[in-house]
Amino acid sequence: MSFFFGRTRARTNTTDLAKQARDHVTKLLDGPQGPAKAEELAKVLAQMKQVLQGTHAEAEPNTEQIYQLVTSMIEEDLLYLLAVHLHRLPFESRKDTQVIFSYIFRFRPPTGPQKPEPLALAYVVEKRPQVLVELCKGYDHKESATPAGTVLREVLKNEAAAAIILYDDGEEQGSSVRGVGGINPDRTQSGRGVFWNFFDWIDKSSFEVSADAFTTFRELITKHKDLVPRYLAVNFDLFFDRYNNILVQSNSYVTKRQSIKLLGEILLDRANYNIMTAYVDRGEHLKICMNLLRDDRKMVQYEGFHVFKVFVANPHKSVPVQKILIMNRDKLLQFLSHFLEDRTEDEQFIDEREFLIKQIRNLPPAPVPPPQR
Amino acid sequence: MADEGIANRYQVLEELGPSALFTRALTRPRGRRSPSSTEDDIQEIQQEISVLSTCASSYVTQYKASFLRGHKLWIVMEYLGGGSCLDLLKSGIFNEVQIAIICRELLLGLEYLHSEGKIHRDIKAANVLLSETGRVKLADFGVAAQLTYMKSQRNTFVGTPFWMAPEVIQQAGYDFKADLWSLGITAIELALGEPPHASLHPMKVLFHIPKNAPPRLEGKFSKEFKDFVAQCLVKDPDFRPTAKELLKHRFIRSAGKVEALQELIQRKRMADVRVDHVKHPVYYQETLHSISPKDDADEWVFDTVKSIVPRRGTVRSRKPSSAFSVDDAMRKLDLKDGPLQPNTPGTVRKSTMRRQPSSASRQNARRDSIRRRMSNGSPRSSLGPKRPLQPDTSFGNSGSTMRLFRRVPSDGSNPSGVDPSPREFANENQPPPTYHAPVEPNSKEAMLGRRLYNKALEPCLDELHAQTATSTKREALARLSDAFALLDAVDPEGAYHLLRNLVSTVSHDTKLSNTFLPQQQHQQHHQQQQPKSQPPAQDGTVLIKSRPSTATTLAGTPPASAAGSPSKLIISQENPHLMSHRRRRGSMLPQPTSPTSSFAEAGRFPPAGRERGGERERGGDREREREREREREREREREREREREKERERVAALALEARFPGRAAVPGMEHCKALSDLLYARWTDGLRARWGIVGGA
Repeated sequence: MSFFFGRTRARTNTTDLAKQARDHVTKLLDGPQGPAKAEELAKVLAQMKQVLQGTHAEAEPNTEQIYQLVTSMIEEDLLYLLAVHLHRLPFESRKDTQVIFSYIFRFRPPTGPQKPEPLALAYVVEKRPQVLVELCKGYDHKESATPAGTVLREVLKNEAAAAIILYDDGEEQGSSVRGVGGINPDRTQSGRGVFWNFFDWIDKSSFEVSADAFTTFRELITKHKDLVPRYLAVNFDLFFDRYNNILVQSNSYVTKRQSIKLLGEILLDRANYNIMTAYVDRGEHLKICMNLLRDDRKMVQYEGFHVFKVFVANPHKSVPVQKILIMNRDKLLQFLSHFLEDRTEDEQFIDEREFLIKQIRNLPPAPVPPPQR
Repeated sequence: MADEGIANRYQVLEELGPSALFTRALTRPRGRRSPSSTEDDIQEIQQEISVLSTCASSYVTQYKASFLRGHKLWIVMEYLGGGSCLDLLKSGIFNEVQIAIICRELLLGLEYLHSEGKIHRDIKAANVLLSETGRVKLADFGVAAQLTYMKSQRNTFVGTPFWMAPEVIQQAGYDFKADLWSLGITAIELALGEPPHASLHPMKVLFHIPKNAPPRLEGKFSKEFKDFVAQCLVKDPDFRPTAKELLKHRFIRSAGKVEALQELIQRKRMADVRVDHVKHPVYYQETLHSISPKDDADEWVFDTVKSIVPRRGTVRSRKPSSAFSVDDAMRKLDLKDGPLQPNTPGTVRKSTMRRQPSSASRQNARRDSIRRRMSNGSPRSSLGPKRPLQPDTSFGNSGSTMRLFRRVPSDGSNPSGVDPSPREFANENQPPPTYHAPVEPNSKEAMLGRRLYNKALEPCLDELHAQTATSTKREALARLSDAFALLDAVDPEGAYHLLRNLVSTVSHDTKLSNTFLPQQQHQQHHQQQQPKSQPPAQDGTVLIKSRPSTATTLAGTPPASAAGSPSKLIISQENPHLMSHRRRRGSMLPQPTSPTSSFAEAGRFPPAGRERGGERERGGDREREREREREREREREREREREREKERERVAALALEARFPGRAAVPGMEHCKALSDLLYARWTDGLRARWGIVGGA
C-alpha cells in the first residue's frame, strides 16, 4: 500500500469519512443526540457516495480515494454498523447507504492479480459474514427492506455470499458465522438461521417488503446450481415443510401464486433432479397439490396444474402417490376433462391435460410398487 | 396479514371515474392486466413501487402505501385534484405563460430524478398531473429506470412513440437526456394540443423520428419558447442540454408562479359544467371473482385427512351481474322520464364512461346524474351511507387517491355506464385516438353503431380480455379493442355496417348460422328462467330474451316477440328512437300484439307519432319486442364477435411479433411451456433410457 503515501490530502479526507460515520452511527442510539447525529451522518454518507460515484456527469471518481475509503470502512467495521442501523437512518441516507454498499461490494482494487476479487466482499465473506446476515434482517423493517434487498440481490450473485446466508446457523458447529471456510454443508440446519426467516418475511410482511423478500429468496434458490441442490438435499424436509406450509398456503394471493410457480421451477430445474424425484414420491405433497387444483382462483389452479403434472407423469410413482391417484381416478378424470376449459388457445396446456387424463385412465387397479431403482 | 391493517386505514370514498387512478392520479395503460395475472409482471410493479417510494420531491407524485387486498394490489398515491395536462388540454390548448411554468416545474422534477439516477422515460402531458393549487407533478413511473451506477446507459425500448427520443428508438444506449427530448415534445403538445406527427400511425412515427430533422415549434410563439423547444429537441443527446442547464434558459427563467395554472383547472371545470358533465360519484365496488370450482362438495378423497388444505372462507361471488341489473332496475323505476322524450341511444353510457360527452348527450347525461342521486337505496348497500348528495362534494376533498392497480373488467354485464374499460387507459399510450372527439352519431345507423359498440362489442372485449392469460394474446386483444374504440369514435356507422353485413353473411351460411344462432337461443332460455314473474311464452314460436331488469317492470306481461330473422331486425333498427324506450316500460300497460302486426306498424309509425297518448301503450309493447329483438341480436353479435376476435387475435399477435422485434419478451406464462417441455423430454426419454423401463403405467 506504499504507493499511497505522499498523496496525503485525499487520504485524510476519505479515511476521516469512515471514522466520522462510525462515530455518528454509534451515537445514533443515544436518545437526545439522535436527531442531530442523524443529520451529520447524512452529510457524511452523502460525501461518501460522492467519492464513490463522482458527481453526476462531472468529476470522475478517483480510484485511489475509493480504495482508501473501502479499506477504512473495513477497518472501522462500518459496513456492519450501517447494515445494523439501516432502518434508523433518515430517508435520503438509506438511499445513500444502498449506493455506498453497491459500489463498495463491487469495487476491485486496480492493482494485483489479473481478476482481483471484490475487496470488501471477499473480506465480508471470509471475516465478517454478519454484515450479510444483518442486511437480510433489513426485512424486519419496512424502511430498510428495499435498500437492503437491492444490495443483497447484487451481492448474492456471488456464490460464497449466497452460501453465507444459506448456512448461517448461529453459533452451531458448521455455521457460516465464522466465515465461508467454516461451513459444513452436510449438517442439517436447525431452521433458526437467517435463511429460514425469509419464509416469514415473505408471508407476514406488508406487500412491499414481502415482494422484495420473495425476489431475493428466488434469486437465492435459483441462481447457484451447485450450492442449492446440495443444500436442498440435506435440508429437504425442513425446507419443503416450511415452503408448503407457509408460502404455498399463504393468505396473500400474490405470494401463493408466486411460490407455486417457483415450486414448479425448482422441481423442473435440471440441477434439482434428485430433489424432484424425492418430492414427487411423497403422498402428502400430492395432496397439497391436488387441493390447489380446486382452489377458487383460476391462476392458482393453473400454477398448481404445472406441479401436479409432475406427479402424474412420473413413470415410477410411489405407492402412496398411486394410492391417492387410484382412489380419485374417476373424480380426477371427470375433473380434468373440465379443468380450465376456457383455456382454449393454450395448446400446450390442452395437450398436457390430455396426457394426464390418459395417464390416470391407464393406472393399474391397485398400486404396484415401483421397480427398484 | 400485515396488509389488512393498512387496507383498513383507507376508505374508498369515490371512484374518480372509470380510470380513477388514471385520470386523477396516474395515467398508465395498466388496466389491461387484471389481478388474476398479477405476478406475471409483479417485478414490474415492484420496480415501479421501488422507484416511487424512493422519491421525495414536491415535483413527483408522492407514494403513500400499497397493499394487497384479495386479488388486487392497491397503490395509494397523493391526491391531485387538477387532473392531468392531457385532461386539461381537452378544454383548450395552453398559452405560453402556462407552458413556461409547467416546463420549469417539470425541469425541476427531472433535475431531481436525474440526480437520483432515475430516468422517467415516459414524459408526456398525460403523465403530468396538477394539484388543485396548480402544483405540477410527474406521475407514472411504470417504465422508469433506476440506474445503479451513474454512468450506465439503458437500451430498453420503452415509452410512447410520439414522445420518444431518437436515441431511445434506435436503442443505441441512452441516458437522462432522453427525458428532455420528451419534455420538448410535451411542450409542443401543450401548445398545439397534440405532439408532432400525431396524425401518423405510432409505428410509423418510430421511423420518422430518427430519420427526419427534429420537429420545430412553428406559428406565432415567442422566440424564447421556440428556442427552448429547439434546445430540447437536439437530436444528438451529447449536445442536448441537461435539466439543470435548461433551467437557466430565458424561457424558463421568466416563468411565473404555479398559482397561475389554477386558471387551467378552472377552465376545465367550467367546460365540464357547460356540457353538464357533472361528476357522478362512482363508488368503488369490490369485484368478487365468480370462479367457483366445478363441484364444490365433491372433494378429493385422501385416506386419512379429508383435506389437507383448510378451505378458507372465501367470499363467494354474489353475481355481479344480478346485483347490477337489480340496481339498474331500481334506477329505472325511479325514473320519472316521460316515455316519449327524444332520447339518444347509448349516449348515457358514453357520457359517464368515456368522459367525453357529445353535445347530443347532454340531456341524457344530466338525467343520468339525477337518477344516480336518486338511487340511493340501490343494492350497493355497503357503500350506500357514504354517498354524498352532491356530486361534487367529494371532488378534491379526500386526502389521497386510491389507485386500483389492475382492474378486472368485471364481466360483460357492466352496470349503468360504470365501465372500468381498460381501453380507456390504453389510449394514454396511443394518443392519436384520444384526440378524436367522438363523432356525434347523427344517423340512425350511427346511433345503432355506437350502441352496438357500447353494449356489445366493448363488454365482450373486456370480458374476453379478462379471461385471457397469455400476455401476447392480451396485447392483441387490447389492440383490437382500441381499434374498435377508434372506429366507434370516428365512424360508428361503420361499426353498424360491419356487423350488419356480418350478420347477414353468417345467416346465409347454414353451418355458421347453426353454430351461432342456436347457441344464442340457449342463452335466452337460460336467462328466461331467472325472472320468476315471467310467464312462459304463449305462442310457441316466440322466445323471450329479457333481462332481469325488464322482468321486474314487466311482471305479468304476456310476452310477444317475433322470431329474429335478419330482415325483421332491419326494420326495427330503422328506428333508433325505440332503443331507449326499454326503461320506460314500467309505466306502460301490457298489451299483447301479434308480432307481425306490431312490426308492420312500427315500420309505418314515425317517432313523432308516438307522442300521442293513445298510442303509447301499443308503442311500448312494440318497443319491447324490438328491444328483445335487439337484445337477441346483440347476443348473437357477441358470439360472433368472440369468434372473429379469435381470428383477429391470432393475426394481430403475429403482426405484433413482426412489429416489435426489438421488444423484450414479456415475462408471462411462457415459462410453463419451457418447463413442461423440459419435463416431458426428461420423463419420457431421459428416465426410460436411464432405467430401461417403459413407464406405461
